[in-house]
Amino acid sequence: MLIGLLLWYVGLSLWTAYEPADRQFWLLSSILPGALVLILVGTHRSMPLSQASYLLITLFLTLHTIGVHYTYAQVPAGAWFEQALPLGRNHYDRVVHFCFGFMLTYPIEELFRLTASLRGWLLYYLPVMTVLGLSGLWEIIESWVARVVHPELGMTYLGSQGDVWDAQKDMAAALYGSLFCMLLLLLWRKRRTGTSRPQPDSLADSTS
Amino acid sequence: MLNRTKLLSGLLIWYGLLWTVLAISPHDRQDWLLENLLALAAVGTLLLTYRRFQFSTPSYLLITAFLSLHAVGAHYTYAEVPFGFWLQQLLGLSRNPFDRLVHFAYGWLLVYPLRELLIRLAGVGTFWSYYLPVSGMLAQSGLFEIVEAIVAQVVSAELGTAYLGTQGDEWDAQKDMMAAFSGALLTMTLVIVMKGKAVSLRK
Repeated sequence: MLIGLLLWYVGLSLWTAYEPADRQFWLLSSILPGALVLILVGTHRSMPLSQASYLLITLFLTLHTIGVHYTYAQVPAGAWFEQALPLGRNHYDRVVHFCFGFMLTYPIEELFRLTASLRGWLLYYLPVMTVLGLSGLWEIIESWVARVVHPELGMTYLGSQGDVWDAQKDMAAALYGSLFCMLLLLLWRKRRTGTSRPQPDSLADSTS
Repeated sequence: MLNRTKLLSGLLIWYGLLWTVLAISPHDRQDWLLENLLALAAVGTLLLTYRRFQFSTPSYLLITAFLSLHAVGAHYTYAEVPFGFWLQQLLGLSRNPFDRLVHFAYGWLLVYPLRELLIRLAGVGTFWSYYLPVSGMLAQSGLFEIVEAIVAQVVSAELGTAYLGTQGDEWDAQKDMMAAFSGALLTMTLVIVMKGKAVSLRK
């Protein structure tokens, strides 16, 4: 299955790398995912994550790759939504921010569980904080890029689409996604085992 | 060496006095109240949990230093702190930098207590004990910017602007977070360097 996921992502990347809407933006935005995939491939023997985690990461990277291909503000699905509901802006990037929190919180939780020997409520709290921290870091980088690459465009560049509160809303979206993911995980574990503690033998928590 | 109990009571008395003096006729009473909600909650939590969880003396010193800075900012409303104006003139800046300075101090002073909390409460190990506190400070800084944005939009526009203190800068939120982030990184680097020194001294 892991090979399938990798093939899917590489194939998709090649397809979207062909004539992206904005080559410079595509290049900038592909550095981090590329590094992440290399790290995951490199550590998959020494530090294997569960299949659920790899699946979630691939899903998120897929969404991101599509966003990068079209440059986020012009993704067709988002534009269609904008027309269907009177939203006033393309919401694809906000959705992906939410998904960043929703899909990557579980892999981070797993990483903490395996390497940091966290226990109790901290195992639920720290992944959310980490996602929010990464989200803040992303907004900082985004603002640098906007100021360095296109200083004349100011806030109209990149994700903000002219909204002064864009950074806060993006971070809030990631936070909600992350909280939602943790809530689901908590409920799922409670229902399955009657406790909020991860069980070593349960499916999604197994690592080998 | 100074007695720990004496030092801690001294810190509490210092903060109590400073807070009381600065509570007298602040620049903008509503903004002062808004700024102090979280600070008072923090002090209350520290006092109530003192029996169950005690920070080290350096941590309490750092926390008090930060709270003192914040009390000053709340008294004058951040954008109008005299020291900030003085600094602005000295460095030829276009804005009062006091709030940016306190954002930096937030990361700089509070990342150490957070690390202590994580190590002792959660037992986090080597690598994570350096990464997680920095990440935590950045996250809290982001959370603070979100809360600020909500407050500014809900509360009257005028008070919102005073509280927010963007001073008309569209990238204010990112710069504030960056300030806290670099402060946290600086302290972490110091911690790592000092740890290295301590180890080599023991050898």
